[in-house]
Amino acid sequence: MKKQLIPGCVLLALSLVITLGSISFLSPCVHEDGSFGACHWAGRSCMGIGAVLGILAVMALLLRRGRRGVYLSALPACLLGILTPGTLISLCRMSSMRCRAVMQPALIILFAASALAAAAGAVCAKES
Amino acid sequence: MSLLELKNVSKIYGDLKALDNVSLHVDQGEWVAIMGPSGSGKSTMMNIIGCMDKPTMGEVLLDGVDISKESSKKLTDIRRDKIGLIFQQFHMVNYLTAVENIMVSQYYHSMPDEKEALEALERVGLRERARHLPSQLSGGEQQRVCVARALINHPELILADEPTGNLDEANENIVLDLFAQLHKEGTTLIVVTHDPEVADAAQRTIVLEHGKVAREVINENFGKETKA
Amino acid sequence: MKTFALSVQNLIRKPGRTVALSLLTAFLSLAVFGGTVVVLSLRSGLQSLESRLGADIILVPSEAQSKVSFKDLFLQGTAGAWYMDASVTEKALEVPGVEKAAPQTFLASLKADCCSVKIQVIGIDPQLDFTVQPWISRSLKNGLGDMEIAVGCKVEAGMGEILRIYDRQCKVTACLEPTGTGLDTAVYCNMDTMRKLLEAAEEKGINHKIKSGDEDIISAVYIKVRDGADIGQVNSALTGKLRKVTAVRTRSMITGISDSLAGVSRTVTLLIALVWVLAVVILLLVFLMISRERAGEFAVLRLLGASRQGLGRMVLTESALCGVLGGAAGTALAALCIFPFSALIEQQLSLPYLLPGAGTILALALGTVLLASAVSAAAGFLAARRLSRVDPGSALRGGT
Repeated sequence: MKKQLIPGCVLLALSLVITLGSISFLSPCVHEDGSFGACHWAGRSCMGIGAVLGILAVMALLLRRGRRGVYLSALPACLLGILTPGTLISLCRMSSMRCRAVMQPALIILFAASALAAAAGAVCAKES
Repeated sequence: MSLLELKNVSKIYGDLKALDNVSLHVDQGEWVAIMGPSGSGKSTMMNIIGCMDKPTMGEVLLDGVDISKESSKKLTDIRRDKIGLIFQQFHMVNYLTAVENIMVSQYYHSMPDEKEALEALERVGLRERARHLPSQLSGGEQQRVCVARALINHPELILADEPTGNLDEANENIVLDLFAQLHKEGTTLIVVTHDPEVADAAQRTIVLEHGKVAREVINENFGKETKA
Repeated sequence: MKTFALSVQNLIRKPGRTVALSLLTAFLSLAVFGGTVVVLSLRSGLQSLESRLGADIILVPSEAQSKVSFKDLFLQGTAGAWYMDASVTEKALEVPGVEKAAPQTFLASLKADCCSVKIQVIGIDPQLDFTVQPWISRSLKNGLGDMEIAVGCKVEAGMGEILRIYDRQCKVTACLEPTGTGLDTAVYCNMDTMRKLLEAAEEKGINHKIKSGDEDIISAVYIKVRDGADIGQVNSALTGKLRKVTAVRTRSMITGISDSLAGVSRTVTLLIALVWVLAVVILLLVFLMISRERAGEFAVLRLLGASRQGLGRMVLTESALCGVLGGAAGTALAALCIFPFSALIEQQLSLPYLLPGAGTILALALGTVLLASAVSAAAGFLAARRLSRVDPGSALRGGT
């Protein structure tokens, strides 16, 4: 029983890092003139996806039935998260920029790790 | 016909004579108990018969081969092919299941055969515990697995060192019944023990004292008791 | 149930021990792979900078002065803009010992499209240039046309894409190979395009350093000294002849970078060595502790007929498997830290940084895993030797 909770806890932790990280230590470039570039909105979008993942993780931890379905629904959300910075929403042109050097790789890795945790959760979850 | 013969065997550690000019023979199919107080040389004798040690002097003939002169590699081969060992502390490999413990013995002897290993477990009444790890088995169950492991390669000699020393009475009886069955099938058994009841189950008891054979006792009631 | 299967069972059924041993080797390979990739990247970065620079002396206006700003331009792509009269090139060519002189004009863009940073635009004269041109020709056969640009590998723009610089549309006709230097963040055009861009900038009133009407301005002249000529003497001659111009010897710049690189390499090597010594000592201790714990098990296997060599093989297999597991995990983790974040690492190091090719990286990764398993197997071998000496009888029974 306890072992089954591990993927959910990992997913919750990762989603927290994504959600809070996108607006703090993983935040995209800050423009000198205060305007927002596309990378800013890519970061915000990832924050939203991270929050959704967090809610799914909490559901997976609390629900007694349908846990597998919750984990499976987290997978497309993770894919969306992987594609958002750089593919679905463009980032700055220079790869030395913060959004490309820090935010994009970190978020892709975090979403990929979340996908692994969700997949592990789906495998471990035994329908009661 | 003699399976084992010790001729004037001595084992000396420094000033201590653990075995002092011991001679004895064990016939094929015989069930012999070796008794004696601590320090009488029982373990030394078991080590020498079990090809785990060599005597300082004398000859040890096992199935006509003088094992006192053999190399350690050859002794390993002889032990593997001819002897089944059972210990007081069971000594199972703790990360392998019951059936795997038996299969390891098959592996080193010839080839692992799971079906045969399961049959051996069936014989000791533990078929349903085959996939359990040693930590999931009781002491009695572990010892029965060890009996199954000792007999899996059809050894000519089963050498047991205090096999019931750590068992309760019920399990002691189960193990002794297994020995009786093996004896009936013609396996030679040498059982080292402190316990007179275990010794009484054997055909003949050899008592060691100060590294020498003090006396030999033939069990008059042998056939009757084992049947009972 | 073969020896290999026995080893695998042991590893699976003792997960705590397996994870602990693998973690140690993971730590080892993380340090080795990560450290080596960083050091190699720094070395190839320096080599790349040397070959890109290709010039012996660089002439810049005295206002640009410091080598530091030059270093920044080359290492971090910091945009700079300073100007002097274009006649400096011809004057320099008159100095004895000067073989080639290639002018370049710099312009710092405004925000490029979505970016908040300025992009360095570098105008080159394809006829005279010997530093950037060979590099550009590798990606662009016919040279740069009017309002065409070649972008450094770190400027994310596809072929044919239009970049707006000072509201002028420039077509990307080449994406250049990485150099590991600040040159990767620059955009290159010919002198005609540069003139138009300078005008556009002037229209916006941005580049106040441009004198109105003065069309022939350049930012730097790259000088190649004739073979056999003394660079120091040529340098002095240039400084003497040209007013308000500073001559910078590239060698001194590269030596400075090379010194800091040597420092970083030393630190990394020291750290790797430290991690190795620690990890090897811990591995040995762990294996020795395990060998004590497993004496009973080995005695049983010996009594069941296992040979000493067989048991040795088993321990070796186990420890090598732990090494492979840990080595692969450590290398993967290092790769996960180093490759996606290479831009960040480069910024933090402030040194030329060019990742080695895929082949080298693959070979390095494979070598690291092999090394980790070899070290683990060697530690296991010592334990195996100790274990095979155990007398099975006394290990199981103790006493007479």
